[in-house]
Amino acid sequence: MSLQDFFRPDGRHLSRGGILLLMAPFFMLIAFAFLYPLISLLSLSVTEPTAGFDNYARILDNPVYGKVLLRTLWTALLVAITSLLLAFPVAMAMVSSSGPVAMLIGACILLPFWSSVLVRTAAWAVLLQRNGLINEAMQWFGITSEPIRLLYTQGAVVVAMTHVLMPFMVLPIYGALRNIPEDYGRAALICGAGPLRVFTEVTFPLALPGVLGGFILVFLTALGYFITPALLGSPQDMMIATLISQQLREFLDWPFAAALVGVLTLFVTAITLAFSKIFRFDRMMGGQV
Amino acid sequence: MTKKTYVKTLAGAMALVFAGGAAQADELVIATTGGLMRNTLEEYFYLPFQEASGTEVIPFDIEVPDQWARAEGMMRTGNVEFDIVTATGPDLVDKADILVDIPCADLPNVAEYALPGACTTKGVARTTGGMVLTYNTDAYEGDQPSTWADFWDTETYPGPRGLPDTGDRDWWLPVVALLADGVAKEDLFPLDLDRAYAKLDEIRPEIAVWWKTGNQVQQIMRDDEVVMTMAYSGRALKVVQDGNPFAMAWDGAIRDTGYFAVLKDSPNPEAAMEFIDFFYGDADGHPGFISDVGYATSSTIGLRQLPEEEQKLYATYPDNYELLVDPDFAWIGENRDELRDRWTNWLLQ
Repeated sequence: MSLQDFFRPDGRHLSRGGILLLMAPFFMLIAFAFLYPLISLLSLSVTEPTAGFDNYARILDNPVYGKVLLRTLWTALLVAITSLLLAFPVAMAMVSSSGPVAMLIGACILLPFWSSVLVRTAAWAVLLQRNGLINEAMQWFGITSEPIRLLYTQGAVVVAMTHVLMPFMVLPIYGALRNIPEDYGRAALICGAGPLRVFTEVTFPLALPGVLGGFILVFLTALGYFITPALLGSPQDMMIATLISQQLREFLDWPFAAALVGVLTLFVTAITLAFSKIFRFDRMMGGQV
Repeated sequence: MTKKTYVKTLAGAMALVFAGGAAQADELVIATTGGLMRNTLEEYFYLPFQEASGTEVIPFDIEVPDQWARAEGMMRTGNVEFDIVTATGPDLVDKADILVDIPCADLPNVAEYALPGACTTKGVARTTGGMVLTYNTDAYEGDQPSTWADFWDTETYPGPRGLPDTGDRDWWLPVVALLADGVAKEDLFPLDLDRAYAKLDEIRPEIAVWWKTGNQVQQIMRDDEVVMTMAYSGRALKVVQDGNPFAMAWDGAIRDTGYFAVLKDSPNPEAAMEFIDFFYGDADGHPGFISDVGYATSSTIGLRQLPEEEQKLYATYPDNYELLVDPDFAWIGENRDELRDRWTNWLLQ
């Protein structure tokens, strides 16, 4: 195979074979470390203890499991929406600032991103506990008269997961915003649009690919989130990842846990496919206008 | 002849009879959880036993579920490597097939010093604690909570509460719910689960923390996250000893005993019995062991060596011991699946 085989006749684009060859190590890793374990786990769900869909029937039979799944989808949706509301202004500020201010904002986004999830989650536990900073501040300001329950609630989970996952929202939106030529906004202003109208009719529609990209990244990551709900949530608000882990580690019921994994995988795949059908993925990820 | 030398002679005679295993006769493999339990056992019992008997104790650190998985593997291959294993109450029923019978009456120190119920057919009590009601002593003026009914009485004793979502909560919580609902502790088993879960529904909104680990229950006590919680007595003990305003109410605490059990076809069953007897008879080891590990032994010569005030913090203190709930492990074993299903469905609803 000569070097030319890597390229199409135009000499500038990679040939199909070239692409495959370059991707091969990555595909092999995915196949070995992701697909193989996933498939063997899923096959467990339809072969043990008897062949068939008994494990899945068990999930359908008991409304409790459906409830856990719905709660998981709802929590993930809340996290994605909260992240979006918080991330968009931050991304706009990043785009419109420069020099030390831009660096400061970037650092505020990225430093937590590089610190351990466990540390950030534990920090929230300290803040939210009964005698924690937040409860004490609320009492000091007279908002509450006695400590209220903040920790071990769904609210705590949503807040902490939003904090952990927000960089995944900020960065794609920032990418999209940065690619919007400044002239567009200026042109709209010249044509008589107010700042609000510039935002709703120019900036936001053009940033939409980044918004959707960030949204789906955060939403899908939140669906399978384990550590934060396990530490800050109550088992009464259990999410599906915690349920799977409980079935595996405590009840040693691998086939049933595998069936739960199957259901989660199905949802993630369906949502991803739906998104990529409705909005073009390449545009979302590339953040191109 | 003193008891100790009698046992030694007995063991020696037995060792002669079973001379086939002579190569291993001077070794005894004891499987327990690692860390604190292994270290304190080694310091207070393994080493003194080694000195007294000449049998070398080889500690093997392993979590209990893993230990059973290994033990069952050993049974299949016929190559049994553990002599003494650690068993919980339910294990004595579930694993009875692979455990030898303990000749309680033939072990002189056990016969003399063991608390009632400490020596059973398949296991001898090693350490006893309880799932105990602990409460903050600063929370209420006047009457302090003392029973599970008080735990449910949120008018007299308001404040956030904690319950476990770990271990055997699938029967622990129905048990205390029934006690709170007025069932006498002798009449608990078989558990009336419908009644228990109706009672649990009442307390559910008051539970601020469903704790997952021993560390967590200590943390929620220290940080005032709860005013009352069910806790492992050994964990609660450390919180009390560290000077936190907490106390334990033993009425209706659920007895939680770790047992020594001996595997079938183990390499050195004679030394295993000899060690168990030594454990019950060796008065010197108990006070230090009990204080360090936080759980009481079931030898009557053990706990009584501690100061009276301290004894009250342990499950085997006579006044506490008679208040404990004695679980019916046979019934629990038979109904395990239903217990788990009920629990999971109730918690997730």
